[in-house]
Amino acid sequence: MSPTSSGRGRNVRRVLGRAARALPARILIWTVLGVMAVYVLAPLVFMLTAAFMPARDVMSMPYPWIPRSLYWQNFWQAIRGNDGKFMYARSILNSLVVAAAITASTALLATLTGYGLAKFPFRGRRVVLLLIIGTMMVPFQAIMIPLYMVVTKMGMQNSYAGLIVPFLINAFGVFLMRQYLLTFPDELIDAARIDGAGELQIFWRVIIPNSWPAIATLSILTFRSQWDNLIWPLLVVQSEEMKTIPLYITRFASEKYTDEGAMMAAAVIASLPMVILFFALAKYFVGGAKLFAARKG
Amino acid sequence: MRRRWLAFIGVAVLVGAVVVPALGVELVFWTHEDPNRTAIENQYIEEFQKMYPEVTIRRVTYPSGDIAQIILTAFAAHQGPDIFNMETEDEYPYIINRRVAPMDPAAAGYANLQAVYDAYQAGTLDAVTYEGKLYGLPMELTNWCIFLNTKYFREVGLNPGTDYPRTWEEMMAVSELLVIREGDILQRRGFDFRYPYYLIFLLPMVEQLGGSFLSEDGKTAVINDAAWLQVLGFFQEWGPNGKNLGSPTYTNARKLFNKDNNSVAMCLTGLYQIDRIRADNLAFYESNEWMIVPFPVFENAVNNYGCNYYGHYYMVNAESASEKQQWAWKFIAFMLSHGEDYLLKCGLIQPTNALLSSEAYETFPYADVFAADMARSKMVMLHEYNPQFDDLLREAIESVMLAGVTPEQALATLRQKANELLQE
Amino acid sequence: MLPALVFFGLFSFYPIVNAFYTSLFKQKLLSLAPPEYIGFGNYIYLLHSSTFWNSVRATAIFTVCTFVLLVGVSLLLAAFIASRKRIQSVLQMAYFSPAVVSSVVAAAVWMLIFDPRGLGNQAINAVLRTPGVDHKWLASATMLQISTILVYFWKYVGYFTIIFIAGLTSIPTTLHEAARIDGAGAWKDFWYVSFPLLKPTLVLVSVMSMIQCLRTFSTQYVFTQAGAPRGPIDVIAFGIYNTAIRDHQIGRASAMSVILFCLMLVLSWMQFRVSRSDDVSYL
Repeated sequence: MSPTSSGRGRNVRRVLGRAARALPARILIWTVLGVMAVYVLAPLVFMLTAAFMPARDVMSMPYPWIPRSLYWQNFWQAIRGNDGKFMYARSILNSLVVAAAITASTALLATLTGYGLAKFPFRGRRVVLLLIIGTMMVPFQAIMIPLYMVVTKMGMQNSYAGLIVPFLINAFGVFLMRQYLLTFPDELIDAARIDGAGELQIFWRVIIPNSWPAIATLSILTFRSQWDNLIWPLLVVQSEEMKTIPLYITRFASEKYTDEGAMMAAAVIASLPMVILFFALAKYFVGGAKLFAARKG
Repeated sequence: MRRRWLAFIGVAVLVGAVVVPALGVELVFWTHEDPNRTAIENQYIEEFQKMYPEVTIRRVTYPSGDIAQIILTAFAAHQGPDIFNMETEDEYPYIINRRVAPMDPAAAGYANLQAVYDAYQAGTLDAVTYEGKLYGLPMELTNWCIFLNTKYFREVGLNPGTDYPRTWEEMMAVSELLVIREGDILQRRGFDFRYPYYLIFLLPMVEQLGGSFLSEDGKTAVINDAAWLQVLGFFQEWGPNGKNLGSPTYTNARKLFNKDNNSVAMCLTGLYQIDRIRADNLAFYESNEWMIVPFPVFENAVNNYGCNYYGHYYMVNAESASEKQQWAWKFIAFMLSHGEDYLLKCGLIQPTNALLSSEAYETFPYADVFAADMARSKMVMLHEYNPQFDDLLREAIESVMLAGVTPEQALATLRQKANELLQE
Repeated sequence: MLPALVFFGLFSFYPIVNAFYTSLFKQKLLSLAPPEYIGFGNYIYLLHSSTFWNSVRATAIFTVCTFVLLVGVSLLLAAFIASRKRIQSVLQMAYFSPAVVSSVVAAAVWMLIFDPRGLGNQAINAVLRTPGVDHKWLASATMLQISTILVYFWKYVGYFTIIFIAGLTSIPTTLHEAARIDGAGAWKDFWYVSFPLLKPTLVLVSVMSMIQCLRTFSTQYVFTQAGAPRGPIDVIAFGIYNTAIRDHQIGRASAMSVILFCLMLVLSWMQFRVSRSDDVSYL
């Protein structure tokens, strides 16, 4: 981040801030901000409070908002599972393994490919880039069945490999890294070359250390989308031991013994790792946006 | 990176190639989630593996809402399981596309095919008989009756033993008495239908009035407008734009029924619900404050049909090696030989003559109500376009109940789309 | 680079090419018979199918409404927040927080909110002072469309707000100062200085959100599973799923995918094109 950027920001604030001096405008602005905050946060607060209530309170009218007492049974039921096998822990582990592996490989491969596309003017570069951007636009449902055939032919169904391999690299990541590296100063690369560094060395020693913000952002986005993935695991996973969190949640929700309170408890648990990640890495969650903002389309 | 993955894949393939023959036969068995059934079938698997150590069976369960999609994708990729089950209507395309193997009477321990038919109630294997071959064995045959909570009946001054609804008109009147609203919002429903299983419960209502979905020759859809309009009108009256007694967007009634929490007084479901009440809510189960009555008919009905019944049949993948197919039928027959367990522990009825004449069946609570209803009912229609028909019916009902479309308009749309589909 | 391209080839391009190839055949998922080549038959069928046009309409309604809401509101929020330094980080975190929750969880929470007894009715009735009215969130056609838009908007508004904030704060100070010297008020400053300079950000956000909207599937799927009528929210991606999985018409579903794919390409190309015609560069 350049030293001027915060100065710029302050100035924008000062300029825009003048609009707020007029009282009616100020009231309007705060109303909009407040309504939006309620709209955005209410469902989350609902999830959190409902997780501590027995089902009859969750669905009572009006909604009580504050649990009468902390009804921990919901969490116990969610963790233990209706069959008492504690499979939720295993699902969380699976989700972590899958999301982490994909994140690591995407970060590496997308940076590598993005670097290649940004800095090496080979023949057909535009075509490759267009193809990669094109794949961003294909709905997953369209390629679901052919993809499934590829994966099952390689014998990877119901394994970590089947969950991970198809997503080792993604188009969006390549696109993002290429956009970022386009503005990477050539002088740095040339200087390394003059020093006699090999291409791989340049990549490791120069590109990667200087691309951390972009890599971190890409990693978070990838991790999040994998954490979310439902339809693919649904197809390739065949045993309880391999299920990821979204699969566990859908199954838990469909079971007759699960009531609204227990469901919300499971939802809270499923959200926890992302919330922790969010608070720990808020800088990158938010900072990643600058990568989009600072570059032309 | 790439090399490591290739190595990994290579090792995986190698391990797969070496390990599988060494272990003998592995049968993959996919089924829907049902905790009661999972318990007994896992036990059968253990016993079977003990009897035949060369066989391993991997049983995998899926949510019942997703299993049809998962099996379909697997079969499309030629990676289907060796053994599976689904609802009859979903299984039908597998039969006509020859994706499932004909049953092997010898492997299943029968003298010949006729012996299989003799062991089951007449007609109950018709759904899986195609061009003279048998493609499945029933794990359950289910019809639906009305479960009612007697406490709420008494609360509004009704005697459940005598005032229970026998006709759809009475059903509407009784529900009106039972319903509790807060403004428009239903806090307690009297009865509500089992959306969106329209082929199962809606078509018999139309047929009670002399209508039908398809003509005799199967070439025209939507027969007898008067019957259809009366049924569509009934649902319009039932929905939020009419008397506001129920709607597909509320939590399904059969799930709430078990909770006995003053949210629904009646629901439409199968015998298996009894075991689910016991598992969900033992106090309610033992309170004897519930009872089961037959599927109602319209006052001006011309046919006395009950709710359609449907089945779950175990089937075997036609692409499995023939040795596997034999083992699969042997295992299926082994599981199904425990008919009384399926009834007593899961509430699932296998339509075998042995079970239906057993003491266990005769003394099972309310089995007589279900049996009497099934005797006057038909098997759910089987057609290649069943899923689409189901959707069209759903669209018609939802448009009259929720979107304010008139029954005449809804029927015209239904007729047009269904006939278009038939002509394809 | 090579391994990346190998993976792409296998797991992205091959399925896409396969989909295009399949779209030229009449093929049933379960059928073992060899597929019948029908050229553009599937495309011709779709152009005459009222269901397909209904899907196009549902997708258009969803995309246009969500798109306008997302871009409009997040730009507005960004403009408001960027000028309030002290609470900027708190507010942007708050608005962003739904993005942390996974889709499955979000669907479960919103299903309870849209239940007739749920928070949705309670909130509206409290504001409008109309106790006991059921607003039929998942029942009436219009409300259902609004509900899907609300869920989607909820999930992504914070994300786009943050991108816009980043865009706003990266505009050089000197430009604002110049505008002020010329006597421009805050509104004029925003409209004539910030807004044009935000264009690259705006285009990128537009393309991203439009592609996302066109691909929308899971909310519609979950709502329909829960008993909502399909017609009003039968978006194209959902239609593809139904055509393939329910109808077993894999050829026709592939044709729908190809159409959707082309639609996205054209729209993105147009947006880039518009932005290029009067590009403002300050980097």
